[in-house]
Amino acid sequence: MKSAGNDIVALASVNKRRTNQPGFYSKILSASEQQLYREPEISIIPFENYVWLLWSIKESVYKYLKRNKPDLVFSPTQIITQHIEIPATLVVPFQNAQFDGTNDQDDFYRGTVKYGSDTLYFRSKISEAWIATVVDVDNDFDDIYWGIHSIHDASYKNQSTAARTALLGKLNSFFAGDLRIEKSAIGYPIILNNTEQIPVPASIAHDGCFVAYSFILESEDVCG
Amino acid sequence: MDRKAILTELKKVLAPYTENKEMLDGISEDTDLIRDLKINSANLVDIIIDAESRYNIEIDFDSADKMYKVGSCIDVITEKMNQSKSA
Repeated sequence: MKSAGNDIVALASVNKRRTNQPGFYSKILSASEQQLYREPEISIIPFENYVWLLWSIKESVYKYLKRNKPDLVFSPTQIITQHIEIPATLVVPFQNAQFDGTNDQDDFYRGTVKYGSDTLYFRSKISEAWIATVVDVDNDFDDIYWGIHSIHDASYKNQSTAARTALLGKLNSFFAGDLRIEKSAIGYPIILNNTEQIPVPASIAHDGCFVAYSFILESEDVCG
Repeated sequence: MDRKAILTELKKVLAPYTENKEMLDGISEDTDLIRDLKINSANLVDIIIDAESRYNIEIDFDSADKMYKVGSCIDVITEKMNQSKSA
């Protein structure tokens, strides 16, 4: 079954001092990921950004796999990033911190991540305000749509509402009808068109003043 | 320290990470940190580090995987406190 997984980390909520403590980052990074950071091309990323980049990758993978493995437990150090390609623009300026993504830009971090026998690919973006990731089992990302929106009211309830609104806003550009979102028993979003579930795996995330969505839409899934 | 006392202390650990203070006051062992208390998953490591400091224990990542429900948090904290007593 197709799936979707994304995540966003608001950098305003990151405690840099704590992130740099071994007792903290060793609960997120595997030994091989700590080793990976020693490579010169990787260590140009500020360490706190590296830790939260990998966190966002791991969360995205967990969400992706959880849909088909309902008993999966989130275990950050077991989801292991294998390699990372660094973009020319390490950190996107804040004025570009809101986007409805296409994947033809060149400012994405790209790479491979494994959980047991599962291999997934990621696209991540780091702005001055957030780190966001989307994952898929295919490396072309041609059918992946994702976006980041900023919000003013960062209460949990509003974050959740705004993330759903952002996802619906994008989906409405592809589907006619009355779209709405429900939550599955294990927590992932289900998209309904009138009363019928549509085959579009979607994922939403929120943190602080930012919300994010992703979904997979193959051209044959679009209907009027 | 019995489970009730650990629960009381655990509320103080969780308090900075949840807006849902009413739910926090009434938590039980079945309360889910993410679903019920609306704690951002990115704060789970903070909670583990704060719990280590408050109870003077070390929580390895295998145990940390279990800390999604209040009851399982108390299980882990109890186990680690007993281990540090017998060490």
